[in-house]
Amino acid sequence: MFFIHQTSCISPQETFSNVKMDLLHVSVHNKLLAIEPAYTGVAVGVLRRMGKASRIGMGTAMRLIQEGAAPDGLIIGTANGGMEESIRFLKQIIEYHEDMLAPGSFVQSTANAIATQLSMLTKNKGYNITHVHKGLAFENAVIDTAMLLMENPGNTYLLGGVDEIASYNYIIEHTAGWYKKEYTSNQDLYKRNSAGTIAGEGAAMFLVNNKKEQAIAELTALTTLHSTDKELISGQLKAFLKKNVPSGESINLFLTGENGDARDADLVASCESAFGNETTVARFKHMCGEYPTASAFALWLACYLPIDQPLPEHMLKKQGTTNKNRTVLIYNYHKNVQHSFMLVTKFK
Amino acid sequence: MNRVFITGMGVISAIGNSVAENQLGLLHGTCGITKGTRLSTRYSGLLPFGEIAANDEALKEILSVTDPGVTRTTLLALHACKEAIADAGLTGAQLLSPDTAFIGATTVGGMCLMDELYNDANNPANNSAFAPFYDCASVNMYLQKYYRLSGIVNTINTACSSSANAIMYGARLLRNGLANRVIVGGVDSLSRFTINGFNALHILSDEHCAPFDKDRKGLNLGEGAAFLVLEKEADTNGKKVYAALSGYCNSNDAYHPSSLSENGDGPFLAMNGALKMAGLGSTEIDFINAHGTGTENNDEVESRAMIRLFEEPPAFASTKSNTGHTLGASGAIEAVYSVLNLVNQEVYPALHFKEPILATRLTPVQVHTKKQVRHVMSNSFGFGGNCSSLIFSKAG
Amino acid sequence: MEATELKQQLKKQIITFLNLTSLEPDDIKDEDPLFGDGLGLDSIDSLELIVLLNREYGITIKDPKEGRKILVNINTMVDYIEKNRTK
Repeated sequence: MFFIHQTSCISPQETFSNVKMDLLHVSVHNKLLAIEPAYTGVAVGVLRRMGKASRIGMGTAMRLIQEGAAPDGLIIGTANGGMEESIRFLKQIIEYHEDMLAPGSFVQSTANAIATQLSMLTKNKGYNITHVHKGLAFENAVIDTAMLLMENPGNTYLLGGVDEIASYNYIIEHTAGWYKKEYTSNQDLYKRNSAGTIAGEGAAMFLVNNKKEQAIAELTALTTLHSTDKELISGQLKAFLKKNVPSGESINLFLTGENGDARDADLVASCESAFGNETTVARFKHMCGEYPTASAFALWLACYLPIDQPLPEHMLKKQGTTNKNRTVLIYNYHKNVQHSFMLVTKFK
Repeated sequence: MNRVFITGMGVISAIGNSVAENQLGLLHGTCGITKGTRLSTRYSGLLPFGEIAANDEALKEILSVTDPGVTRTTLLALHACKEAIADAGLTGAQLLSPDTAFIGATTVGGMCLMDELYNDANNPANNSAFAPFYDCASVNMYLQKYYRLSGIVNTINTACSSSANAIMYGARLLRNGLANRVIVGGVDSLSRFTINGFNALHILSDEHCAPFDKDRKGLNLGEGAAFLVLEKEADTNGKKVYAALSGYCNSNDAYHPSSLSENGDGPFLAMNGALKMAGLGSTEIDFINAHGTGTENNDEVESRAMIRLFEEPPAFASTKSNTGHTLGASGAIEAVYSVLNLVNQEVYPALHFKEPILATRLTPVQVHTKKQVRHVMSNSFGFGGNCSSLIFSKAG
Repeated sequence: MEATELKQQLKKQIITFLNLTSLEPDDIKDEDPLFGDGLGLDSIDSLELIVLLNREYGITIKDPKEGRKILVNINTMVDYIEKNRTK
């Protein structure tokens, strides 16, 4: 599909400036909040109106744009971008009875605020889009980027996934049963046999193009589906492997979006059963928490993990016989219904 | 050549519940914008809205929807989808097939349930039936389940250009071999959220909107949905074909969160890019369905960008004077209207226009006119500078 | 209220309302332009300031264009507030 040249990530862990993989920050009240850096080089006037999703999206993207060449377009996936600002404006509507309202939060409440603020900051007049299809928002951004590179082979694009824990959204999803009712630390996320998971947030960005030279990794294939049928999902995984992995070869690392929700245990197990002893199985949701574009965090992780070093202990579910992380298959799912498989081949 | 053809269309707006009704409305210069709305807002009776006559219960009955929690936004989308799918004659097997993609756009999504959202978010014990339906993706998640779609499904939100981008994305899935047929479009319903947002920006007119008029006072919000079925030329043998989607381009104005730059770089680049892709010269566009919201900023900047690109701009008008500004639906609704220009070889009048803007002096089409129409451009520009232009051409 | 006191209060309100958290009231000079090169505010801020005048001083400005003449700098705002405030 395309080659990944630079990556950047703001998450609840030490992933931005000085990456520390062995250190695991602990969740608070079933939430993993993204650690915001000091945003240097960005005017205060620009920052003041941004919600957290906009800020972390801008922070991760600006680093890539400042370090690398100006991209030919900005492709962002976000399910909840602007949600917190929407709620702020909604509150005003109710509190002030629809009279004399301040428009700032309304302007920032649109999901496209992240991508468009970036275009304004960097004077980027190229392709600019925001995909919001919940748990497949980032995946559709990936598909879009892959198509752009088929259409414009010489170009470079900025691809990203961003979401924040909007406090109101958290309450609504908690009520709907998506988060654990009992206090659960991310350190014990996979040990509990109860429904629900913990909430998370983050931003991950990638500079991608068609050039193999000096690339960190290649995203070789992606498939998405909507289903609650675990047979169908694991069947789709097997078909995906057959199509994209040459016979005689195997996946080094199967990185799953297992999130501690006991209701999904069968699903995850049936996907894991597609792999033999040589494949290592690892998890990432205890690092970033559950959010719709967590697959962007997983892709960042797949790019970052060194090929020849063992994984951090906290990620490991099953050590495979191949001590390499060269081919990585990411499986992510959101609320049981939306699923994706992303295949990554690493060079560095 | 593998052109992208439109093989089915469906639309619901303030001027009609079907493509045929909308065509009649355009032809007769019907204005679907009235003062008052069934929403409980302090602006009901004070500001005009392009509201669809059918209420939620009526829509549910027409559509035989009994599921709890289905929002008006979803109902409007389903209404337009059903018409488009039947019109294109898509079979059940085709809908189930993984090579059928569905791309919908919306900006309001479940936010039409503003008060329910507020209550649920403040009362954790509520557990209301609406909880899963507040976000934008909820509309297409429902439609995915309704039609049991297994191909690529996506939701796009680039504010007022959302559904133009959904159409582009769908066409690109076809051209890049990721789908063999796509259902594309957009929807938005009226909401106290958007009414208050646009009002806080002082860009809602208390009169009928008058796109491109010197004394325009702002926009009127509307609601609606439109979906189109796109297929590759090679797959349409013997099928009814309305038109070709021959060009498209997405550019950003990179200027301001809620207004366009003075010279309209974003609009200019979008229109120019679409022309280039279609391989057309600027004199070959016969009609432009302008974004034309009726705001001070948009209409003057769009005029300036048209003059920059065309010198002598072709015939143009804005159908927002008929329907109101339907936000995330407008690109798709106006795509249907652009196709109607081609199919019926006619252009429809802009309403409420009196005198041209002094700085740009452009006059939109004011009477229904039969004329040769080979290529129509449709513009959609959104907050955040998200600008997209589409070009539709006669298929024959 | 003395004009200087009102100025100080208004500056604090502007900082809070527009989320200019890195600024202190004294960073805003009475005659510095609020828009463009001065404080760097834009058209959305001007609408926000009109709302501030309404909520804090009971002043209603219907036409945002009229607002632009009032929202030139702190001096012009205070001048207008003193003449037109209803609370």
